[in-house]
Amino acid sequence: MAVREQDNLTINVGKKGVFVGRDWPRHAALLLAIALVVFPLAYAALIATQSNAQVFSFKLTPGGNLGKHFDQVWNDRSLGRFMWNSVVQAVLITVAKTILSLLAGLAFVYFKFRGKWLVFFFVLITLMMPTEVMILALFRFVSDLGWKDSMAGLVVPFAASATGAFLFRQHFANLPRDLSEAAQIDGASPLQFLFKILIPLSWNVVGALAVIQFVFVWNMYLWPVLIISDRDKQVVQVGLQGLQSIDVGLTFGPLMLAALLASIPPALVFIALQKPFMSGFALSADK
Amino acid sequence: MGILASVIISALLGALSFGYKSRREGAMGAALGILGGAVILGALGFCTFASDAESTEGVLGVALAGAFAWMFGAGTKAVFNQRAADLGSGEIRTGTYNLSWWWPWLLLSPTLLILVFFLYLPAYQTFTLSTKLTRLGAPRVADRCLSNFSDILVVNPTTVAIIPLIAIAAIWGIGLWNRLAMPGSTNAAIAAAVRPFGILILIFAFYFIFENENGGYRQIYVNTLIISGFTVGLAMIAGLALAYLAFGRIKGITVYRTLLIWPYAISPPVAGILFFMMFNATGGILAHVVDSFGNFVGLDVSLPNYTKSVGLARATIILASVWKLLGYNLLFFLAGLQTVPRAQIEAATLDGANSWQRFRKIVVPALGPIAFFLLITNLTYSFFDVYGTIDFLTKGAPAGATSVAIYEIIRVGVDNGDLGRGAAQSVILFLAVIGLTAWQFRQSEGRISYGST
Amino acid sequence: MKKLFGLLVAFSLVAAACSGSDEGGAEATAENPVTIQMWVAFSDDARLGFAEDRAAEFTANHPEYIVEVTSFDSYNTVFEQAQLAIDEGNPPEIIHFFEAATQEALDAVDKDGNPIFQSVTEAIDGRTEILGEEVVLGDVVSAATNYYTIDGQLYSMPWNTSSTTMFSNMDILEAAGISEPPKTWAEVETACDAIMGMPDAPSEGCITWPNHGWFFEQALGQAGANLANNDNGRAGRATEVMLNSDAALDYVQWWSDMEDSGNYLYTGTQRDWDGTSAAFQAQNVAMLVYSSSDTTALTAAGDENGFKVQSSFMPFNQDREYAGNLIGGATLWMTAGMDTATQDGALAFLNYFSNPENAAAWHKLTGYIPITNSAVSRLDGEGWYAESPNSKVASDQLDAAANTPASTGALLGNFVAIRDVVTAAIEDILVNDADVATRMQSAQDEAQSLLDDYNELYGG
Repeated sequence: MAVREQDNLTINVGKKGVFVGRDWPRHAALLLAIALVVFPLAYAALIATQSNAQVFSFKLTPGGNLGKHFDQVWNDRSLGRFMWNSVVQAVLITVAKTILSLLAGLAFVYFKFRGKWLVFFFVLITLMMPTEVMILALFRFVSDLGWKDSMAGLVVPFAASATGAFLFRQHFANLPRDLSEAAQIDGASPLQFLFKILIPLSWNVVGALAVIQFVFVWNMYLWPVLIISDRDKQVVQVGLQGLQSIDVGLTFGPLMLAALLASIPPALVFIALQKPFMSGFALSADK
Repeated sequence: MGILASVIISALLGALSFGYKSRREGAMGAALGILGGAVILGALGFCTFASDAESTEGVLGVALAGAFAWMFGAGTKAVFNQRAADLGSGEIRTGTYNLSWWWPWLLLSPTLLILVFFLYLPAYQTFTLSTKLTRLGAPRVADRCLSNFSDILVVNPTTVAIIPLIAIAAIWGIGLWNRLAMPGSTNAAIAAAVRPFGILILIFAFYFIFENENGGYRQIYVNTLIISGFTVGLAMIAGLALAYLAFGRIKGITVYRTLLIWPYAISPPVAGILFFMMFNATGGILAHVVDSFGNFVGLDVSLPNYTKSVGLARATIILASVWKLLGYNLLFFLAGLQTVPRAQIEAATLDGANSWQRFRKIVVPALGPIAFFLLITNLTYSFFDVYGTIDFLTKGAPAGATSVAIYEIIRVGVDNGDLGRGAAQSVILFLAVIGLTAWQFRQSEGRISYGST
Repeated sequence: MKKLFGLLVAFSLVAAACSGSDEGGAEATAENPVTIQMWVAFSDDARLGFAEDRAAEFTANHPEYIVEVTSFDSYNTVFEQAQLAIDEGNPPEIIHFFEAATQEALDAVDKDGNPIFQSVTEAIDGRTEILGEEVVLGDVVSAATNYYTIDGQLYSMPWNTSSTTMFSNMDILEAAGISEPPKTWAEVETACDAIMGMPDAPSEGCITWPNHGWFFEQALGQAGANLANNDNGRAGRATEVMLNSDAALDYVQWWSDMEDSGNYLYTGTQRDWDGTSAAFQAQNVAMLVYSSSDTTALTAAGDENGFKVQSSFMPFNQDREYAGNLIGGATLWMTAGMDTATQDGALAFLNYFSNPENAAAWHKLTGYIPITNSAVSRLDGEGWYAESPNSKVASDQLDAAANTPASTGALLGNFVAIRDVVTAAIEDILVNDADVATRMQSAQDEAQSLLDDYNELYGG
């Protein structure tokens, strides 16, 4: 079921929405909510321009240190490098997860084979096995493989996902069955069928999964803390730690600037993929 | 004596979980149960009942045997049922490919390999590590049987044995009450209302079996409950309220929504950093505002340093987590509100139902599945992802009052290098996750179904 | 298991890129230089930059070697990562370990049971010059030599060495009518009462220092009390830890009383170097007990924020005879099993790194003590101490110590975890008003079991 209307979240009955009373109190309430939600970011943006002395004297006007702080965090403390590492990791995991999930969904829906339910349970059970509860053993195992301080150690353990496999399985199962029959009559192999027919019908789900995965990987903290020790290979969330004290003691400005910079890429991905993300969820929420 | 108790309990639980309708079924269940108990105790080399083992280890050994007996019984039963269902219904699906047998396996192999090596294997290793004393790089490994576990429980083995039993009996009692109560009576209504809260009895019971001495695990348990409970509760309520506010047509709604949802993309560490800045005692705005307000009204008030006040430290972490989760919850509640049946709302509006009545009678039931889904994702967040926030905000201070389970695992297992004790704590967290998932499946039976194929 | 993994790697979308190949070659030449990896626990511009600059200079002077510096955020990180690298059998040539890791570095063995590290004394083997670099090991100041000498040998090359000193905001002290920084606990109390009694008293408290195990150990050293049996682990492996001696209880009690009276600022976080330093720089406290390693920066921060900073000895208990303070800091360890060319390169670099000129520059940059006697006289000759009296305090404090096991400092297994037990107990006392004697007793039990665990895996 595709969602056609762009403003699909709105229920529109008559001149006023069902939930709508008079408009101005809602505007006021929404603005207040936004003010509260945005305040921490706005405050951080202010601090990002100030020197420690200005921070200690609680000046509410921007200081002139933005350029200096940018130079400190981006060049001296290689925030740019950290962010690049994170981008590589996030893209690799997102792509790998999407492909592996598509393949698994294909196998689950378009193939009959012995022991399918067993495999299904095998994958299903992993939903209650969060990596975090086995992180010490995983850490030891991945270190034994010699993958410490490598992109492989950051990516491979997270390249498969039960959630993704089930998402596509559910999506494919709801597509008309004659699609695959027609494809088989045309002599298309399963992979051709996947890439030529299924994927074009699944962009919303792919987009939704991509946003979730990208944000998930970008925000990953505990695993890189353990597995990456070489600062040149560090990812951004952990890299922020080294920015807590640049000179002597706390340096607030550069830290805030770095925190804000580190939040930009996932926001961009979110905004870019907002439409498929929302529709992808509207789809799954229909269930 | 421990072995005898294990055999009896294993046989009983095996039969209970497998079924005992016929003598043959009961016997098979008992055998499966004993097998299950024997497998786990054998894997431990029966160390829990060795002469030098602590009594608490013995109690844990019996409990482990019972748990495995239950798993073997229930697992075999599930397999039998599944096969019966497979044979009975068959799979009526058209359009499936009819190629060589290895095709689906080839498609599934990357996923399966990764799951085997990076989830199942480490999960197994976590269990084996939890019975050892070892450090990274140590030349020796010492067997610790279950003492890594008994160390975080109260010293008195009777308490460890009795309290969970009482809790389980109480939960069983509630189930029995449900079955016996006259359908339609007030009694039945109360019983049905009480039923979902059976899990609280267990949660309460665990409080009493964790070690209470300084640095004991009870504090970690309480921290985790408080921080997770408030985070999830507040984030869900605030998310729903905001979704209600941001739902429906109003000028600029897309902009409003984007601005409200955006913090979803913020990371837990960044949430920690931003709140660290606001609440910082030396340079933070809040301390200054409270100070200035105090000066203005001529009172000597000041914001206590959040890292020194147990309540404020926890509140700050909860606040940062709620702030970070808000966008996510808003997003899903918005999607959920979409599924609210329009016709019913219209009809109710025409019938003169006010908005609260419409909300309670129509919206809440329709949002059930989404709310349940959010409950689980928010819980996962508050169990694990909160690590990043804590690491930047309090590092577990003051005096360990904000050190939650995952934080303690890393402190013990990595910072102190004590892999065995860290793994034992991981196992406990693992059991909690399994318990919650099982509870989720029970509660959502019939609502969320993954189907068998 | 690893063979099976070949399969997985074939599937995985990413190839494990880096594989530390062993540079073999018995001969080091400019065309085919030998790489020497050095892991450093600093990530700030000044200190990491110093190491990188020296590495670059050494590479320029000795083109047959390349010294590569890898930076880590903290001592603990280097320590953990080094353990992992050792576990994998692929450690770097030079590792920067802090003093508390000394016992564990000594005990570290590879999978075959051979020691990971090699004694620097042994490797130098009496030479006075290696690859043209003068050997300075014998010239290292006595406080550091005493701490790191085990069985008559220096296993590692001392580098950054400091002690705990006090920094006073003299503007505040003088405003309260105090002309000299207080020397004893009693004087601190008197001074604090005066300071906090002023109408514009500092907002957060009178004095602060991080809740770090090092300060606790310093107090024990001052009182001549050992932290562990067997002469602080120096006459034989320590098997008993002693966290609840009278000297220890006195210190924690005083600390707790200072907190109760509002004179001591507890920032609320353990090991909070940043927070305590920020409070001092923001003039929210008048005195800071800290590591002398930041002498230069703290003095400069005072100038920047418009107040005068004076450094002095760490205050001691006037009721006990002062036995001396100990060192802190870190040393550079050299891994065993290198070929001669690599090892000589590493040794030459270590000695170049702390030659008088570099040791003096390092001291000026930071406040860590000049690590060799010739560096001290060089600085004296330059008139540096006259110009910057704060910089002399740490060296003087260390020189004033008696050479006893107590003031030398303890060698202890699982020391890092034991320190954390101490700080957790102190935090509990400061924040939750736990009873000092009971809480320290339970810390003692916990620490003892950590030490027992360690000795079970490594000892005898």
